[in-house]
Amino acid sequence: MQKSLSASRASFSAIEEDHGYAARRLDYGPGALNEEPKRRYHILLMAPAIVTLAAITIYPFFWLIYMSLHKVSVARSDRWVGLDNYARLFGDVKFTDGWLLLLKYSALCLTLEILIGVALAVILNGSRFEKVLVTVFLMPMMMSPVVAGLVWYYLYNGTFGWYHWLFQSIGILGETSILADIDTAMWGIVIVDVWQWTPLITLITLAGLKRVPQDQLEANMVDGAGSLRNFFTVSLPNIYPFLLIAILLRFMDNFRFIDHILVLTGGGPGNATRILPVYLFDVSFQFFKLGRGAAIAFTLLIVTIILGMILVRIFDDPKKQAASGGAGETTDD
Amino acid sequence: MASREIVQYDSGLSRVFKVLAQVFLVIYLIWTVSPFIIMVGSSMKDLLEAFTLPRVGDWLGALSFFNFSPTFKHYVALFADESFGTYLGNSLIASVGSAIIAVVLGTSCAYSMSRYQFRGKKDVFFWIISTRMAPVVAVIVPLYAIFRSFGLVGTLPGLILAYTTFNLPFAIWMLKGFFDNVPYAIEEAAQCDGATRLRATLQILPLVAPGIGAFLVLCILFAWNDFLFATIIGSGGAKTLPVATKELIQPQNVQWGKIMAAGVVTTAPMMLLGLLIRRYLVAGLTMGAVKE
Repeated sequence: MQKSLSASRASFSAIEEDHGYAARRLDYGPGALNEEPKRRYHILLMAPAIVTLAAITIYPFFWLIYMSLHKVSVARSDRWVGLDNYARLFGDVKFTDGWLLLLKYSALCLTLEILIGVALAVILNGSRFEKVLVTVFLMPMMMSPVVAGLVWYYLYNGTFGWYHWLFQSIGILGETSILADIDTAMWGIVIVDVWQWTPLITLITLAGLKRVPQDQLEANMVDGAGSLRNFFTVSLPNIYPFLLIAILLRFMDNFRFIDHILVLTGGGPGNATRILPVYLFDVSFQFFKLGRGAAIAFTLLIVTIILGMILVRIFDDPKKQAASGGAGETTDD
Repeated sequence: MASREIVQYDSGLSRVFKVLAQVFLVIYLIWTVSPFIIMVGSSMKDLLEAFTLPRVGDWLGALSFFNFSPTFKHYVALFADESFGTYLGNSLIASVGSAIIAVVLGTSCAYSMSRYQFRGKKDVFFWIISTRMAPVVAVIVPLYAIFRSFGLVGTLPGLILAYTTFNLPFAIWMLKGFFDNVPYAIEEAAQCDGATRLRATLQILPLVAPGIGAFLVLCILFAWNDFLFATIIGSGGAKTLPVATKELIQPQNVQWGKIMAAGVVTTAPMMLLGLLIRRYLVAGLTMGAVKE
């Protein structure tokens, strides 16, 4: 296990390391032994994947921009409307609310997932049942998000749902189901996300905890530090880069997966859970206003791309990021 | 597998912590497992039994959940009336098909990326990872318009292609990590012995075969669990299990027994596959940022 740990340190910083490795290799590299030019061979191997990926991502991306500048309808051909689709977004309360709700939803999910996930990892780390429990905790992550949504929809049901019964029994819910009330519906979808993805945070944190130098912990304890102090002064700085990656991954996934929300509330009651991706789904595929949908999608994509850039920066060099203390300002690349 | 040294904390506070931690662990375990238990249980219950709850606050009464005579009629009905067999087939073809494409194209691309240096490589990498991270809804909008004009909406090839948008970048990204760990000296040695470059390349494939297998399974898992692509791109002719399961919810008549049974049918195979590739699962879910 130790070996795989040290090897994987490099996983994402591999890009960086690779530069060194490959540059050195160029001198006696692939082309040195055989006469044929090395370029062609490698590009030939790369081409099928790159071409396929371009066809299904770059081409649609330009289509997205085209669509966002047009009024797209099923029957007639598209009509150019310039920036009208974008301009209308500013007057659209559901759009601005969608962003706010997305942030609220992400913040709630992330806070709970990090708190519970890290606590769980610390408890599990080195415990007798670690292996068994980690295996059990993997279960929710392998469930299709839409099926998870369906099961929780059943559990939340106001007349026969077991979790509704539970909430009533501990006195935090009355007769109405958690999903039917504007004030609680958001919690309903957050709980499902937390149920499904907290284990991921736990697993990431566990991987980080395995790399905390034991001698530091022991030295600290000789100095009289308790377990709590030890966690904050030694463990936390060490797992910080891992947490950063986990947070960003979950943050992006909150943009990506709305399957359970579509099942649980469909954005309701009212607009209480209509986070931006759900609104985008409604505009595009309930009302089939594909042009406006494209404009919304474009804003969503831009934000995700910025998040992706931050992520790649962190992947590149987790240590340096951790030292400089944050990723907020590193959006340029 | 060397066992880790466990640091023993010894103070009064720690003992309280320990008890609290254990309580927390038990509660968390119950909360993780309970939806599964209720799903499986309800799928084997008669309607009346499934809808019986104890009185509010009657904690012991909750045990009545386990008091039922199992029936498999929902499973039978699923395949008899709802033609779940077809959807199961669609799910299988779409997920396995896209996984194979992703891994075959991904392997050759990842190998090349691992061994070959070129200008703008970093940008290409960023592009690859960004396509994986893009919100599915945003990707679907243009993809739907394009696929519609090509007549790909509602077809399995369309669905396979749609799944490739997230599986291919994933495969490239992950497999490159594998190839990076294989020393280039192996190929050099082969070439010294007179092997052609292609031969040299092919001979390191067995070294990464376990990884490739694991990521094939992971790609299947991602595609199998998808709902958005399946419901937009696959609507009509290529209905998959998650979509069919969701469609069992109808305004007038929600057939919970069938839904829970369908949930089990959808989840169980992926659970087994997931356990099989447990070791790679975390790396997969985090795009290789973290390995266990």
